[in-house]
Amino acid sequence: MNEHPVTLHVMDDLRRSRLTVFFRFLLTIPHLIWLELWAVVVMVVFIPNWLVALVTGRPAKPFQRFNAAYLRYTTTVFSYLFLIANPFPGFTGEPGSYPIELEVPLTPEKQHRLKTFFRLLLVYPAIAVAGVLLYVTYFVTFLAWWAALITGRMPRGFRDLGANAIRYIEQGYAYLFLVTGSYPCASPYVGMELGSPVAVAAAPVVAEAPTAVEAPAAAEEHAAAEAPEAPPET
Amino acid sequence: MTKSSRRLLGLLIVGALAGAWSYAAYRLWQTSIPDDLKLPHVDISVLVGASGLHRAQHFSLVLDLFGLAGLLLPLVVLALYAKWGHRFMSESAAGPIGTGMLLAMLGIAILWIAMLPSNLGQLWWLRRYGIVKTGYAEMVIGTWFALGSEFLGICLIILIVMGFARLLGDRWWLAGAPVFVAIGLLVTFVQPYMSGLQPLNDHTTLVQAEKRLAKREGVAAVPLKVENVGGLTTAPNAEAMGLGPSRRIGLWSTILDGRFSEPELEVVVAHELAHHKHNDLWKGLGWYALFVFPIAYLIARVTRRRGGMAVPLAVPLFLFAWVGLSTAILPIDNAFSRRLEAEADWTALQATNDPQAARALFVSFVRATNENPNPPFWDPILFGSHPTEAQRIGMVDAWQARNGG
Repeated sequence: MNEHPVTLHVMDDLRRSRLTVFFRFLLTIPHLIWLELWAVVVMVVFIPNWLVALVTGRPAKPFQRFNAAYLRYTTTVFSYLFLIANPFPGFTGEPGSYPIELEVPLTPEKQHRLKTFFRLLLVYPAIAVAGVLLYVTYFVTFLAWWAALITGRMPRGFRDLGANAIRYIEQGYAYLFLVTGSYPCASPYVGMELGSPVAVAAAPVVAEAPTAVEAPAAAEEHAAAEAPEAPPET
Repeated sequence: MTKSSRRLLGLLIVGALAGAWSYAAYRLWQTSIPDDLKLPHVDISVLVGASGLHRAQHFSLVLDLFGLAGLLLPLVVLALYAKWGHRFMSESAAGPIGTGMLLAMLGIAILWIAMLPSNLGQLWWLRRYGIVKTGYAEMVIGTWFALGSEFLGICLIILIVMGFARLLGDRWWLAGAPVFVAIGLLVTFVQPYMSGLQPLNDHTTLVQAEKRLAKREGVAAVPLKVENVGGLTTAPNAEAMGLGPSRRIGLWSTILDGRFSEPELEVVVAHELAHHKHNDLWKGLGWYALFVFPIAYLIARVTRRRGGMAVPLAVPLFLFAWVGLSTAILPIDNAFSRRLEAEADWTALQATNDPQAARALFVSFVRATNENPNPPFWDPILFGSHPTEAQRIGMVDAWQARNGG
């Protein structure tokens, strides 16, 4: 059921620092500027990557890794901005550094040339859905901002709704930038893992945790106990 | 080389640097005001009236108290932050520099919260006297959003300092200080383009007067512009901005609202032209460069106890040391600024040859700003970037006495 090459892993414990919540938008500004600069390079990279994918049937490996890092980074920045996670993210999109992490295939997959050729057109419906989801997220973040400021915790429903929106948006980006040939999936049950880290084999949490859909609260409690904070980068 | 000869060489280098520093400071300190100029006593109450003087004294006293709070509160808040701020490291999943940026931004954010009551009190006082028009909510929301640019600035500083510290260790200041001077240079150059300056329409006589004054002062005419501040304040002001091709004179819209006569405005323009004539913006940068090196060195020394600037643990202490040292040199910074302003007044008197207009201008400033023309001795030391109005009027009298006006 939970199959999409681009999967969002949520290991957040819902705790929020009131101080950083109050200044959250402003604290994110340096990241937003860095994101814009990075996005320019991603746009530039898109053209040669698209040509490579058209000719060889799969994107170039260095571009794949570069785009994967960009997608991981945007995920952490959006998660921080929309209060879906608590810690201040790093600037490099390093895997394993953040409680909300996007699992992205690092090896380029074989993609249909015709779909690659029309990628910019095919992605339009997904962009429209992502746009709507983004507006919903803005509204939810506004409500969540007050809730987190008052209680010091993020309401789980708001967190999950925001995480799902980010998951869909990132899947859309991944499709646009040729990271995957799989179209973004609107179902909240696909491409979303609550309470399990990316390195599935290395984490006992996954083996013990029930599926996110059946008992997300239990998975969350486990995640909070096991991995409340992501380790800092070195 | 033996240990003692190395020590001797080190002492010689430090001595040579101290000598060069002192010589540069001495040169920057010099002005064209005659050394033997004595300012006569000025009875301000005769010029502005006893009630006007009393009003200005009352207004300035309370404003000074808010000013003192503005100097001391940051030191107290950042001292506490230096002690406990490292706890916020747990709020970061970033690397050392990213975490340092977060700690620096949070330090400024906490300072904003701590200063809010004092700033609101100051706003209340300024509104009470009609100096400022900004609303309370407008001020809170405006300054909250303005934190965004402060956050960007401090992130850039942390990136430079921590980046060099990770490369050079405790010697980061040797590379960091020139970069800060270069940033200061860039900011001074682009400031006129960022200030929303408008063309000066409907003041053709003033534009012509500026050309005439520029010729008399022996300086190329500088574009006259308007800064629209009418919605924010009633205080009149003007400033010299930019370097080389970006040089401008920005006149606040409040100084052009009819309260000041054409000869008074000519004195203002002559004063700002004098700043360009004497290269005061360059001198200001030079003065900044003189202090940024020792300050950066002292910060590097102080933050060593927290592992140096390569680690985010030192960032809260960095903020405290930076603000503390900047506050410590405030009196000498203000004294330097007052010398440049006094020189600009003197040059303006020479260029306009109109002491009556200059005197009327300075008296009008007292009425328009409510600032105490003759404040207690400590006020200019801490807050005085310009000579007091009494000193400025005294200079007019002294000039008149010398030139037989």
